[in-house]
This record gives sequence, C-alpha cells and structure tokens, in this order.
Amino acid sequence: MILPYLAAVLLAIATAYSAVVSFRERPEGSVPTWIFPERTNRPARKFIGITTFILLIAAGAWLNINGVNPNAKNSAPRSFRFLIPEGYRGWVRVEFEIPGAPALPMEAGHAVLKIPPSGSLTTSSHEQYGWARDSYFVYSNSGMRPIPDTGPARLIWGKINGEEKGSSGIRKYEEFFVGTEREYKEQVEQAKPKER
Amino acid sequence: MLPFVLYFVTGVVTGFHLYTLLSFAVYGAPVNWLELVALLGSFCLLIAAFVSLFRPAGAARLALVACLLMWCFYAPAIAKTVRARFARATASSQVRPPVRAVSGHFTTS
Repeated sequence: MILPYLAAVLLAIATAYSAVVSFRERPEGSVPTWIFPERTNRPARKFIGITTFILLIAAGAWLNINGVNPNAKNSAPRSFRFLIPEGYRGWVRVEFEIPGAPALPMEAGHAVLKIPPSGSLTTSSHEQYGWARDSYFVYSNSGMRPIPDTGPARLIWGKINGEEKGSSGIRKYEEFFVGTEREYKEQVEQAKPKER
Repeated sequence: MLPFVLYFVTGVVTGFHLYTLLSFAVYGAPVNWLELVALLGSFCLLIAAFVSLFRPAGAARLALVACLLMWCFYAPAIAKTVRARFARATASSQVRPPVRAVSGHFTTS
C-alpha cells in the first residue's frame, strides 16, 4: 500500500519547506521566488475558495449518497428485535439468506428474530447494513422484558457480522454474546491463542 | 501557490491515512493517542494551506508546528517499520490452537 509511504514523503517535504521559510527571512525588497512567494493574488484566492467549496459540497453529497457503509443503499436504519430465551448465556448466531429457512416476521416496523434455546437461528431474510436500532428482549412463558445492551448492567457484547465462504456458498451471519462482562471476557480469553 | 498546494496535499494525504488507521477501531483495534495528535496536525496543515494564501511566512510557522505534531506519530512508526524490516527473522515454529474466526465488521448499534 502506497499511502503510508506517500504520506511520510510528503510530510518530510512539507516539514523541510516550512522550516526553511520559517527560519530564513526573505530580504527586504528582494524579488519573490518559489521558496519565498508573495501573497497569492485575488483571482487565485477566489479560484481556490470556489474550488474548495465545490469539493466540500461534492464530498458531502458523496457521503450522503453512499453512506458510511457502501452497502447501506437505503437511508432507513435497520431495526432488529432479538428475542432471547430466558436464562440463555453464550453466543447467539443468526445466519441470513439460507434457502428454505423461514423469513423474519415483522412487528411494528421491527424484524423479529426469535432465538431458539440452541442460540442459533437461520433465516431466508437478507442481512441489513447501516445504522442499527436493534433491541433485545428476554422471552419466557410469563412474557417479555428488555435486556440492556448499554450501561453498567449491559448483557449484550461483541456484536459482529460478516461473511463465511463454505461449500454451500457465502453465508452471511451475525453474532453476539449474551451474558455479563465477566462472562464475555472469559469467553474472549478462552478463544485467544496461547502465547509461548 | 506552491505552499498552498504542498500543505493542502500533505494535509489531505496524511489526514486520510490517519483516518484509515483510526477507523480500525471499529474492529476493536486500540486507538493510539499519537494518531489523534497527528490527525490534529493534519488539520492544522490544512488551515496553514489557506493561511498561506494571505500570509506565507505566518503559514510556514503554523505548518512547521503541524508537521512536528505529525512527526510525533510518524517518526516512531517509521522507526518501528524500519527496525522490523531489518531485524533478523526469528526461526521459531509456533503451533497455535485454532482461533475463533472473527471476520466482517461491527454493526453500529
């Protein structure tokens, strides 16, 4: 990748140039040179101002169209409602775009993902990318109650999504851990490679 | 015009480079505070680029400060890269247990 090298070279040139101009005063009445130029004339300043303005507008429009995530084609944020069985602790995995699997039901604008006691759910629905407004609930025979996914009582950790290449093609999945911070850290420690 | 182009291009290139490095935080990479200092330097260099249209000498001083801020990150980074490249390769075979594959990216929630 050329970017780090380019950045370092440009930085070295800019440092050398600015140091020379800073420490060597231009003699009074001398002719402007490329090292000690005069202040830029008005038309050039105007041109730079207009060009910068157009560039900023273009960059803003590009970000607005493509979003932070290029996969986020729609501006509506995704909204998954995860229903987790009472007492479940461990990793939850959802696999998307599995042929033959049921589609995710919709409730009040939320796609509902009812996780079975095994912790693994497959669906034929597509994964949604972009800004997420997911919510988490525990379900049992007595009803549902929300699970905190932020704050000190947080029970949702390590949320990731990605793709896996397998014999049946590319599998899109999403995973997260349900449990306390201590339980999550223990899981992560167990998964880490042991250094010699 | 030369100082403007030099400061502007350097500010944009270093800023983009630092932005890509900082964006790895999304994958759980720790953020080095020197990267943030260098990013501030990139921003100052962009300001110096526009100041240079009016006051080239003043802009040069600002640009020098900005460059020194950026060297706080780039100097150790270059030194480490060079040291790693010329260091003798260790000939030790390591057998590591399989690691849970974590590919992809974090969702924003």
